[in-house]
Amino acid sequence: MNEKNSNSMARVERYYQDYGLRARELKEEGKRFIGYFCSFVPVEIINAAGFFPFRLRGDVHEPITKGDTQLETIACPFMRSCFDLSLKGMYDFCEGLVIPHACDSMTRTYSVWRYSLGLPYSHFINIPHGVSEPALEFFKAELNTFRKSLGRYAGRDIPDGDLVEAIELYNKNRKKARALYELRKADPPLISGSEASRVLTVAMSLPVTEANALFDDVLAALRDREVSPLQKAPRIMVDGACIDNIDVFKLIEDSGANVVADNLCIGTRDYWLHVSTEGDPMDALSRRYLDKLNCPRTYRDKVGETYEEDLESRFGTMGALSREFKVDGVILYVYKYCDPFGFEVPARKAYLDSLNIPVLYLEDEYSAGTIGRLRTRIQAFLEMIG
Amino acid sequence: MAEEEKREKREKRRTATKAAAMIGPMVKEFIGATHRAKQEGKKLAFTFICCFYEEIIRAMDIVPVWTENFAGICGAKRDAERFLARAESLDFSRSLCTYALCGIGFDQWREELGEMPPDPPWGGQPRPDFMLSSGQILCDPRNKWYQAVQQFMPDVPIYHLGMPWPLYEDDIEVSEVEDYYIKYIVSELRGLIKFLERQTQRKMDYDRLSELVDLSERTWNLIWETYELRRAVPTPMGTGDAMNTMVPLVFMMATQEGYHFFVELNKELKEKIARKEGVIEDEKYRLIWGGGLPSWFALKDFNYFNSKGAVFPVETTYRLIEPMYRLNIPETNDPLERLAYRWFRYWTYWYDKAKKRPGSEPDVERLIQYIEDYKIDGVVMHEAFSCRTWHLGLIWQLNQLNKIYKPIPVLVLGPNGKKREEKRELPSLILESDIVDISSYSEVDTRNQIDAFIETLDSVKKQGV
Repeated sequence: MNEKNSNSMARVERYYQDYGLRARELKEEGKRFIGYFCSFVPVEIINAAGFFPFRLRGDVHEPITKGDTQLETIACPFMRSCFDLSLKGMYDFCEGLVIPHACDSMTRTYSVWRYSLGLPYSHFINIPHGVSEPALEFFKAELNTFRKSLGRYAGRDIPDGDLVEAIELYNKNRKKARALYELRKADPPLISGSEASRVLTVAMSLPVTEANALFDDVLAALRDREVSPLQKAPRIMVDGACIDNIDVFKLIEDSGANVVADNLCIGTRDYWLHVSTEGDPMDALSRRYLDKLNCPRTYRDKVGETYEEDLESRFGTMGALSREFKVDGVILYVYKYCDPFGFEVPARKAYLDSLNIPVLYLEDEYSAGTIGRLRTRIQAFLEMIG
Repeated sequence: MAEEEKREKREKRRTATKAAAMIGPMVKEFIGATHRAKQEGKKLAFTFICCFYEEIIRAMDIVPVWTENFAGICGAKRDAERFLARAESLDFSRSLCTYALCGIGFDQWREELGEMPPDPPWGGQPRPDFMLSSGQILCDPRNKWYQAVQQFMPDVPIYHLGMPWPLYEDDIEVSEVEDYYIKYIVSELRGLIKFLERQTQRKMDYDRLSELVDLSERTWNLIWETYELRRAVPTPMGTGDAMNTMVPLVFMMATQEGYHFFVELNKELKEKIARKEGVIEDEKYRLIWGGGLPSWFALKDFNYFNSKGAVFPVETTYRLIEPMYRLNIPETNDPLERLAYRWFRYWTYWYDKAKKRPGSEPDVERLIQYIEDYKIDGVVMHEAFSCRTWHLGLIWQLNQLNKIYKPIPVLVLGPNGKKREEKRELPSLILESDIVDISSYSEVDTRNQIDAFIETLDSVKKQGV
């Protein structure tokens, strides 16, 4: 393994442990950052406007204190953690914030974020719940409003050319991220789930060109691995919303399994989707973020005559992933108070049951304090599928 | 007399108005009507309150089954636990919306049995012919509920309807975005009509639809005028009653019965005002119910407030109307456009006011307006643990209010144009429980909190004197 490649993993670890480190360094050099939340924000527009998009992250090890003085505890605990860290100044290098209409926890707290952080720029992107042609047309208009608003703040219009360039950069980024998954197909995989998650998470905190370079270095380092450092073990896929702390993956792996695939926001749900480079870039962005992005917050009309056909249409991606990565079991990991995912748990389980894939449903609170309770259930599940 | 009826009679809550006292039988009747309609072969639709397309449903003679209402009834009758537990046993988390959980638990049980579950509250919730799902900007459960319940009745089709409005932004005028919002909403409403025409094999009568839109607009004006009567001191009607009168407001819009109800309420309030008859004899503290859905199983807490000399002349909850002149709807012959404009302009009405006060926002402006108009001494809110839609942002709204209503004297412009010192401290209380899940509620703790709040109000009043 050459030095550059081996250093890349150390760099990932450093950026993961001190999230935002690189952004703070770049801020010192005069670079400008816009924070965002969730997979629904078109980072290409932020990039094309001359800012670096920075994905906000929570911390399961940091108790929520300041945040609870301004926000009810019945909100999504992941969002509360991000808000708490923001109030504590962790993301002060961001001069703006973009929040999408993903769920009630984000929508209802937009004003709270806006005023509590006192940021010079903020914007809320309204996303329709449906994916019909009128919904796509509406969403495109919303994205144009965002483009105009951010352009006004940046002091310049965002030309199509810059947008196309940003789309290409992010498509490259996604292609490289996907290459990481290729290394997880081996048995045992060449990279653990927690290592992969660390890389994917860190990449969303970096300027896209730096993230792309980091992916290259990491991929080269991993390809240098002659033998996998892992043992053969049950192959697990994790399904759920946004997991930005590796603790859950580590827990599963320490319990005697390999996390080989995911259906998560910082994972295949987001990274595997490209923006089409054909035609109008705004059309392409609308389609990618509204139609292709398969999140339960978006309603999909029932497909087919039977319920089974509908399940296949809604969750077929999970079935495809489980086949591609030869998955032995799925852990469905959902945060407490998450309405979009919470209302889908029985349907997601029914779909996996129909494929004869064992599934463990865990509801968690985004806190390192729950690890002990989760460990017992995960161990029991792994013994069952052993 | 059946045991259940006896219990209902014994526990009946005291209302200030005769109109509010009529609501219980009225709800019972319209739930009974859904059962009769089912037997008569009429089409039943599961739907949600404040959907803004009641006119379309009514114009097509479709019988609405208000699923949130049924869950609320289960809650009010303290008979929701068995349905919540059933939903939980199906892997729906207890942290989710308990309206939805109660409804899903009930529907799944009915589907499993092929008949109503045992002792269903007020006859139970009938099986619908179709479901009208809601993709408004708020309320994830309304977006997901019917899709979730379709697992247990997969043959019942859903029409999903997007009805967005823009959130408040400093740098964007609503007029910049209104056109594409209206266009989208109208297309969604047209889609709804097509869906209903397919389901019912009947064509929409657009003249009738226009008449019903007229009726709703008149009803909005009437409700606003009627509720404004509550500014009187002593106030003739409180929030406890308004939690009853919300029934014709949100379940009977676009019906003559709904309109007539408010004609009668209007008359009753005017008579009470003429007699100087308040909710209570000695009105000491005027409070605003400033946010949150009520605990349907604990509406008697409003009477407890009354027993301490406190009344609620106004609330933001379920006051989902503005007078039409404020909305300034453009001239159009298309009833769907009128519905779309009413929707859009209702939700954005307070934005202009917010723009004039940096650091404010529409919900806060509305509170300030009510606090001033209704001579309010304190704010009470309720945080229901299972509902993020209406219960996030309350703390922050109170924090914003505290910047305006301070416990120190501030200079204000008097009626004579001269500045004078005024101290407008506004104590607040956030109660914590749920809308349906009674396990989250402690009567003793709640009433202790109310007692402490009343003491604070008393002390502030005395300081003011």
